[in-house]
Amino acid sequence: MKNAARDWYKDAVFYEVHVKAFRDANGDGIGDFAGLIESLDYIQELGVDCLWILPMYPSPLRDDGYDISDFYGIHPSYGTVDDFQKFLDAAHARDLRVIADLVMNHTSDQHPWFQASRLSPTSPYADYYVWNSSDRRFADARIIFVDTEKSNWTLDPMRREYYWHRFFSHQPDLNYDNPAVRSAMLDVMRFWLDRGLDGFRCDAVPYLVEREGTSCENLPETHAILKEVRAVIDQEYGGDRVLLAEANQWPEDVRPYFGDGDEFHMSFHFPLMPRLYLGLRLEDTRPITDIFTHTPPIPPSCQWGLFLRNHDELTLEMVTNEERTFMYYAYAHEPDMKLNLGIRRRLAPLLDGDRRRVELLNCLLLTLPGSPIIYYGDEIGMGDNIYLGDRNGVRTPMQWSRDRNAGFSNVEHGKLYLPVIEDPVYGYEAVNVAAQTRQPSSLLNTMRRLLAARRTSSVFGRGSIEFLRPRNAKVLAFLRRHARETLLIVANLSAAPQPVELDLSAFAGATPIEMLGATAFPAIRTAPYFLSLGPHGFYWFRLERPGDSDEPFGIERTAI
Amino acid sequence: MSAVAVGPELPPDVDRQLDGLPRAEVAVGILTYNNAATVPAVVDAIRGGLEKHLTGMPAVLINADAGSSDATVERLADSGLPFVRAHHDAPAGQLGAVPFHGVPGRGVAMRLAVGIARRLGVRALLVLEADVTSVTAEWIERLGRPVLDQGADLVMPVHARHRYDGTITNLVLAPLVGALFGRRLHQPLSGPRALSARLLERLATVPRWPEIGRSMTDLWMIGTAIADGLAIHEARLGRWRVESSTRTVDLPTMVAQTLGAVFAVMDGYEDLWLEVPKGPPVPADGPPMVPSNEPVQIDVERMVGAFARGLRDLGTIWEHVLAPDTLGDVLSLEADDVERFRFPDELWARVVYDFALGHHWSVVYRDHLLRSLVPLYLGRTAAFVLATRRDDAATVERALDGVGTAFERQKTYLVDRWR
Repeated sequence: MKNAARDWYKDAVFYEVHVKAFRDANGDGIGDFAGLIESLDYIQELGVDCLWILPMYPSPLRDDGYDISDFYGIHPSYGTVDDFQKFLDAAHARDLRVIADLVMNHTSDQHPWFQASRLSPTSPYADYYVWNSSDRRFADARIIFVDTEKSNWTLDPMRREYYWHRFFSHQPDLNYDNPAVRSAMLDVMRFWLDRGLDGFRCDAVPYLVEREGTSCENLPETHAILKEVRAVIDQEYGGDRVLLAEANQWPEDVRPYFGDGDEFHMSFHFPLMPRLYLGLRLEDTRPITDIFTHTPPIPPSCQWGLFLRNHDELTLEMVTNEERTFMYYAYAHEPDMKLNLGIRRRLAPLLDGDRRRVELLNCLLLTLPGSPIIYYGDEIGMGDNIYLGDRNGVRTPMQWSRDRNAGFSNVEHGKLYLPVIEDPVYGYEAVNVAAQTRQPSSLLNTMRRLLAARRTSSVFGRGSIEFLRPRNAKVLAFLRRHARETLLIVANLSAAPQPVELDLSAFAGATPIEMLGATAFPAIRTAPYFLSLGPHGFYWFRLERPGDSDEPFGIERTAI
Repeated sequence: MSAVAVGPELPPDVDRQLDGLPRAEVAVGILTYNNAATVPAVVDAIRGGLEKHLTGMPAVLINADAGSSDATVERLADSGLPFVRAHHDAPAGQLGAVPFHGVPGRGVAMRLAVGIARRLGVRALLVLEADVTSVTAEWIERLGRPVLDQGADLVMPVHARHRYDGTITNLVLAPLVGALFGRRLHQPLSGPRALSARLLERLATVPRWPEIGRSMTDLWMIGTAIADGLAIHEARLGRWRVESSTRTVDLPTMVAQTLGAVFAVMDGYEDLWLEVPKGPPVPADGPPMVPSNEPVQIDVERMVGAFARGLRDLGTIWEHVLAPDTLGDVLSLEADDVERFRFPDELWARVVYDFALGHHWSVVYRDHLLRSLVPLYLGRTAAFVLATRRDDAATVERALDGVGTAFERQKTYLVDRWR
């Protein structure tokens, strides 16, 4: 990428990929950057704009790379910094941008900083982490990994003090009250941005600073540090590098992470995601429309990141207890499907492999306000393996073909970093890229068509949203507007056909053009506009008013 | 921009068909996608042209089909001519929204036709469009004779069109492509064409075919032929009428697809245009043509209104794309008084070049960039209509010539900013 609009992320569709899971080029059973380079044509043809690379740094891999032991390297299983550079250049040559995960809050306990810090309270790195003589400070902070951790403090036998960790005990939190830590982390970011990286997905940002008597989350001191990071990156890199916050919080608590457009460019909209599943299962639009009434406006230069699934469990922290109970009932009928406060399953099996429901949720992902993030493999309906432990079940090798190891690697089966999915419904022999590429009506090709349609309008990334309120609460209908363009999205959350009447009188005279087939529907009049939708069916309409098109100029039919 | 290599291999089913074919000197290629309604007329013209104008010359019909679900292929197979059928996949996005030329994956189809014709060892490959129903037997002669008798390597069509037909072609594509490649062609993105054996050999062995499925193959082919110093001709074919249920009539889509193809070629094949000087005029064969003078209802006022709305709504995008001087000149155009509205050629050339540069440097999302050109194009078209509607055909032709000259003169503006 030679240059870029500063707010390119507002139009972008992101594709989340784990290097180890995508393609193994050197035959060691673990995906690598060389394999990712070989796969770029596929990613480009899918129609996404930006890759989000999960942690790629050296790590003991006790938390799948989120326990970083060297911020300046590449995990040897994935390649070298040179390999990463080749990958980045190859992606840019295809107009694909790349952002990478960066864990700001903590390191691995194997990181040299921590090893030096634990040696003695007089080490130069002594204050790089949060130490205390007892485990009773910050008692109001909740424990996040309730299934594995009993306390946010762990006694270090060497330093004979307790260190603070909001996640696993092998992930000590960095001490952002120490200016040297802030400076060191900025240097880490510069190292990768200097190589051309287009930004960072910043992991676990609400927890940078701790204060007694608080939840130790979302503190003003944390925001001040993040604003400083943003200002430095903007100033030194021209303002087109993006910072995406992982702040698993309620929208009103996430809102400060955008600041006045001077903190994060993007943040995930965590509460929306489970409500899409709730709405679908309840066949009721209200869980979806309600969450938008609780979503505050964000600065014009900022954007929500939307997703259906990702590399973690489907988190249910942002729902009520009743909603969580229902979600478990609906989507996690086996105990092994649950993890922490979430569900460790992929999109397709969550929806019982129902193609229409998979397409419907993707429709909403691509049309609601924000930049969509697609998790690798979900575009072909890959399955999961809930018996692999932790979240490994949704991190299995990409299914390229019916060949050995799903075409992911030519290594002996037993040497794969994780086994490929082999069950009869979602296994690689039934679900793979090669087969779906050849089949015009496959999920993969449908996704390509949806993404291609999304690219035709800037409204999806930049437009406002206005929900219509039809009597039939099983049908979600909303308008997206930007500049002179208006889109109408109508989606049937029900498994049965549904009629709907929409009050479109404000658009009387306009013609709805269905965007996937370029079909003109009957013109809108002042009377309610009637549509019927098949089970889980949906429409994307562009509302063309007389004067917008409809041969207004007399040159269209012969213009070329 | 990556390219794909063209190997000598053809799909196995095509290989098997070629084994049993008699020797041929001429191949006629038809690239199809659900054209059952119109291919009979095209086949009639081909048969008539071969019998009447290329009498006794052994010929073969090549069909590259993108997956028609109607009787297109069967109707071509019934032509009575030796027949080779090749199926190709098309990008899913193009199957859903067929490109401006009507054939999803036209680049793949063209590559197949070239590969088959080369394998057959023909002296000329004539390519026709399956949905152009104004084709006559004379097209076969006018496209084929320059290759067979006059040493031409690439013959491009010139159609007799109303002065306000083809406004994208006349005001954007033709002057832009002419300035880039150094040779002016009337209709560089029109489908019919003829290729010599020498050009087939060259194309089949060049390792830089455009990416599969992209709509840039036709332009790349022209640029390659010109850069190699091959002989380019134009053939006056007469009227051009298309009957298609798949070609888009949505102006923004047409602008985005056609300009997007040119800009993609500019990005991927700088050697074909960046340092190419202006060359001699392209010789044209065929009888002089009288353009249609049928009255055409063009709503100039609405076009100027669309331009004015663009000024209001798209300023934030144009600020990223247009150079400050260019934007200032565009903003100062008098859109309030339709009758006095004009859009100078030199300014128009700079606008298009700024968009090419904006696309090159990705200053905004490329599809939005291309679509945001539409109001400017409408303004330029309206100005052209206003300036020429009372002129005779020769004066209109000179006006179009002036557009081409402006693009040629401003090419240094583009080149200086490209690197």
